[in-house]
Amino acid sequence: MKLLDYLQSRGLRANTGMCTLGDGQAWEIIVNPRSVERTVRGRLSLIVVHNQEDAARMHFDLTAGASLNMIELFAADCAVECNIHQQAESDCRVVSVSVAGSTANYTIDLDGTQAANHMRAAYIAGGKEHTTVALRVNHNVSDCQSDSLVKGVAGGNAVGEFRGLVYVAQDAQRTDARQTNRNIEIGADAKIITKPQLEIYADDVKCSHGATVGQLDGDAIMYMRQRGLSLEQARRMQIEGFVSDIVLHAGEIGEILAEELTSKLERL
Amino acid sequence: MLSVKNLHASVGDKEILRGINLEVRPGEVHAIMGPNGSGKSTFASVLAGNEKFTVTSGSVEFMGQNLLDLSIEDRARMGLFLGFQYPVEIPGVTMANFMKMAVNEQRKFRGEDPLTAGEFLRLMREKSAVVELDSKLTSRAVNEGFSGGEKKKNEIFQMAMLDPKLAVLDETDSGLDIDALRIVATGVTKLHTSENATIVITHYQRLLDYIVPDYVHVLYKGQIIYSGDKSLALKLEKEGYDWLINQQEK
Amino acid sequence: MAEKDKELLDNIDNEYKYGFTTDIETDTIARGLSEDVIRLISAKKEEPEWMLERRLKAFRHWQTMKLPTWAHLDIPEIDFQDIIYYAAPKQRKEGTMDDIDPELKRTFDKLGIPLEEQLSLAGFAVDAVMDSVSVKTTFRETLAEKGIIFCSISEAIREYPDLVKKYLGSVVPHTDNFYAALNAAVFSDGSFCYIPKGVRCPMELSTYFRINAEGTGQFERTLLVADEGAYVSYLEGCTAPRRDENQLHAAVVEIIVEKDAEVKYSTVQNWYPGDKDGKGGIYNFVTKRGLCREGAHLSWTQVETGSAITWKYPSCVLLGDNSVGEFYSVAMTNNYQQADTGTKMIHIGRNTRSRIVSKGISAGRSQNAYRGLVRVAKGADNARNYSQCDSLLIGDKCGAHTFPEIDSHNPTAVLEHEATTSKISEEQLFYCNQRGLSTEDAVGLIVNGYAREVIAKLPMEFAVEAQKLLAISLEGSVG
Repeated sequence: MKLLDYLQSRGLRANTGMCTLGDGQAWEIIVNPRSVERTVRGRLSLIVVHNQEDAARMHFDLTAGASLNMIELFAADCAVECNIHQQAESDCRVVSVSVAGSTANYTIDLDGTQAANHMRAAYIAGGKEHTTVALRVNHNVSDCQSDSLVKGVAGGNAVGEFRGLVYVAQDAQRTDARQTNRNIEIGADAKIITKPQLEIYADDVKCSHGATVGQLDGDAIMYMRQRGLSLEQARRMQIEGFVSDIVLHAGEIGEILAEELTSKLERL
Repeated sequence: MLSVKNLHASVGDKEILRGINLEVRPGEVHAIMGPNGSGKSTFASVLAGNEKFTVTSGSVEFMGQNLLDLSIEDRARMGLFLGFQYPVEIPGVTMANFMKMAVNEQRKFRGEDPLTAGEFLRLMREKSAVVELDSKLTSRAVNEGFSGGEKKKNEIFQMAMLDPKLAVLDETDSGLDIDALRIVATGVTKLHTSENATIVITHYQRLLDYIVPDYVHVLYKGQIIYSGDKSLALKLEKEGYDWLINQQEK
Repeated sequence: MAEKDKELLDNIDNEYKYGFTTDIETDTIARGLSEDVIRLISAKKEEPEWMLERRLKAFRHWQTMKLPTWAHLDIPEIDFQDIIYYAAPKQRKEGTMDDIDPELKRTFDKLGIPLEEQLSLAGFAVDAVMDSVSVKTTFRETLAEKGIIFCSISEAIREYPDLVKKYLGSVVPHTDNFYAALNAAVFSDGSFCYIPKGVRCPMELSTYFRINAEGTGQFERTLLVADEGAYVSYLEGCTAPRRDENQLHAAVVEIIVEKDAEVKYSTVQNWYPGDKDGKGGIYNFVTKRGLCREGAHLSWTQVETGSAITWKYPSCVLLGDNSVGEFYSVAMTNNYQQADTGTKMIHIGRNTRSRIVSKGISAGRSQNAYRGLVRVAKGADNARNYSQCDSLLIGDKCGAHTFPEIDSHNPTAVLEHEATTSKISEEQLFYCNQRGLSTEDAVGLIVNGYAREVIAKLPMEFAVEAQKLLAISLEGSVG
C-alpha cells in the first residue's frame, strides 16, 4: 500500500491534517508543502510526503528539550531544502526515503549542548533519475551528538549522489559525530557519487565517516537460489535487506516505506 | 535418483573434476572423503549449479531429468539441497522471510498452494526443534552474526524446512565442537528416510559415527579412485590416504 | 622499537637544523616573468629549439589561467613578477668532483648528502639540485652499465631528446593546472631517470632539492620512466634556509610505469615551514602523477612535515588492466602551517586496484586537510579501492579536515572509504607519564606509532629520518 493511501485510510482528508496511527500517537501530516516554518516545543511527530514536482523549503526550530520525529517520503522529482536548528537537549530523528529523482538538502545546526540528531535515509534511483541526498551537520557547540546513515541504490542510467559534511566548530568540544554512506550500483550505466566530508576545528572529538560503493553479493544470490528463490527474487530480497535498517526506524510506517521501495524496485 | 557419468568441470583454464562417476539410489547415504584440493567442494558446487564452474563434459541425471540443463533454483525446487561449507550472511533479510519465500517457491513449483502465515509459523517451530535451533535466530537476518555452530545448525534447519530428495552436505562438520556436531548429525539422521538420499562430504571419520554411510568414496585429483563401505572411513582415519594414492599412481 | 623511538627523540636538535644559508656566488637573473625571461632560462640551459617552443606555449597558456581557489588554504597573494626564476651557484661545468665548488660540497655534506661516491650512503645514487641547477649526480657510470639513465632533466633534454620528447608532459600536460603550466614554462632542474626493459635498478635513486638563493622560486621538474618489467625505488628530500620571506617551490613530477613495471616513489618533504608566528616558509605547490600501463604498480609514499603551505596530490592513472596504485601519506602541520594534500586514483583499466592510507596530524594553529578522489570509469570492471584517512588533533586551535570524493561509473566496483578524527587520549598520556616519559616524549612516541604504517613503507634510512622529523615538527605543540 502507498503511504498516501494508508494515511487516507487513517482519516487524512486534505493536504494537511492529523492522523492517529496504530501506535496510538497523533501524527501531523503535510502533503506537498511549499514552505514550512515551525518552532517545535515539546514533541512533534510529523509525516511529510512530497508527491509532485516542486521546490520546497522547510525550517524547524527545536527549542530546548524539544523532540522532532519526522518521516519524509519523496515520491516525485522535487527539490527540498530542510533546515533544522536544535537547542540544548533537543532530539531530532528523521527517516527520509526517496523513490524518485529528488534532491533532499538537509542542514542541521546543533546550537545547544547535548542536542542529538539521528538521520536515516534511503533511496532507490532508476531510469534517468538523479537522486541527491545532501546532509550538512554543524556542531556549533560542545557535547552534541549526530549519527547519520544514508543508503543508496542506483540502477538503469541513474545517478545517486551523497554530499555529506560534518562541521565541528572550535568550541564544539566532546562532539560525537558519525556519518556513513553505503551504496549499491546495479545497472551497467548507473553512477554513484559520494563525498563524505569532515571539517573539524576542535580537538576533543570523536568523529568518523565511512562510504562504500559496491554491488549485490554474488555469493548471497547463489545461496538464495540454492534454496529455490529465482534470480530476481534473490536480488530483490537483498536490496530490501540493504535498505531495511533505514525503514526499521520508522516504526509502523516503516513497512509502508518498505513497500514504496519494493514497488520502486519492481519498476527498475 | 542421481546418476553422475564421467563428469568433468573446470574453473577458468583449470580442470578440477576429471571424470566422476557416481550412482545414488533412494534411501542411501554416501560419504565422499579425500585430501584437500581433491575436488570435493567443487563436486558439490557443480551439482548445485554454481556458475563459477564450467562443466566441460559428462552428464548428471537427477530424478529422471538432465540436471545440468536446469537453473540453480530449479535444481533446488526439485529437491536438491546443498548444505554450504560457508553459509552466506545476508544483511537485513530475516530468516523467516527468506524461508517463507523459499518454501512457497518450492510449493509453487510442485503446483501446491502457498502456506498461510499460520501454517508457515507452525512449520518453522516444528522444524527448528529438529536441530535445537534457538527460535530467536529465525527472527534475525540470515546467518548474520551467527556463530559457526549456529550457521551449521541453520543449514540443517533449512534442510528440514525444504525436505529435499537429495541433500549434499559440504563439510557440515567443519568448525563444530562435539556437542554441535552431535546435534547437527542427529538432525541429519532424523531427516533421513527410505525416500531420500544424502551425500556427506567430510574430512573426518567422526561425523560418520553419527551419520552411518552405506558407501564411502575417495576423491583424488578430481576422480573417485576407490569406493568401499563404512569400514573404509575407519581405515582412512587410521592409515591416511597415502596407501590409496600410491596404489593409484602405480 | 619504543626504546629506539625514545632514543631518537632524545637525540634530536629541536630547531629546524637545515635553516643555514650557503654563502656562494650565484648567477641570478632579474626578478619577473616574461617571454624574454623564458628565452633566457632556455638559453642558459643550452636547450634545443623545440624545448623553448614548448616553454613558450605553456607560458602563453598560463597567462590565460586563474589561480585555483578550491583548496582549504588561505594563500596570501603571490606576486609572480617579484620572483627570481633562475639562480645557479657559479661553478664550472658539471662533471668531476674537482670541478665542484668546495662550499657547495660542504653544504651538501652538512645536509647529510655527501657528493663523493665513496662517502655516500650504501646503495644510494643521488642527484643534488641547488636552486635552478643540478650540481652533481653520483653513480652514473655504475648505473649506465645496466643501461639505466640517471641525470638532471636539463642534461636529458640535451642528450636524450627522443625519450624526453616522448614522455615529458605526457602525464601532466601544461594545460593541467595553473602551477603545472607555470612549471612547464619556467622549470629549472630536477631529475630524469629511465630504467630499460626488464632491469631491476640495483640502487635507490634519489634527488635532493635545496633552495639557497634569496628571492628565488624553485621549479623542479622530474621525469621517471620504468620500461616494461623494470623496477626502481626513488626518493626525494628537500630543505631550504630559514628566511622571513616566502619562497615558491612549484614542481611537476611525472612517472610512466610501463607494462608490468614497478615504481616506488618516496618523499620526505622538509622545506622550511616558517617560524612560530607563521613568518616565512616555502609555498609548496606540487603536481605529481603517474601513469600505469597493464600490470604496472606505482606506490607513492610521502612524509610531509615542512612548508608553510602544501598543495599536493600525488596521483595514479590506472590505465592498463590489472594495474595497482598506492598512496601512503603522513602530513604533519604545526604553528601556522597549512596543508591540503591527498591523492587521485583514476581507475580506467579492468581489475585495477588502489589503496590509500593517509594520516594527518595537526598541532598549533595549523590547518591540515586530506583531499582525495577515487574515480572508476565506465569500462573499469572489477575496480577495487580501499581508503583509510585518519586525523589526529593536538591542541584546540588547529583544524583537521577530510574531503574525499568517490565517483563510480561501473557497477562491478567495490570501493570503501573510512575516516576517523581523534586526539591523543588523556589515558594514553597518563600511562606514558606513569612509566616515566615526559608528556612531550609521550606525544612523540604516540605520533610515531600513529604514523608507523606509512613510515614503514619508506626505505630504512629515510624511515629513521622521517621519525626524527615528526618529533622536531611537534616541538612546542604540547603545552
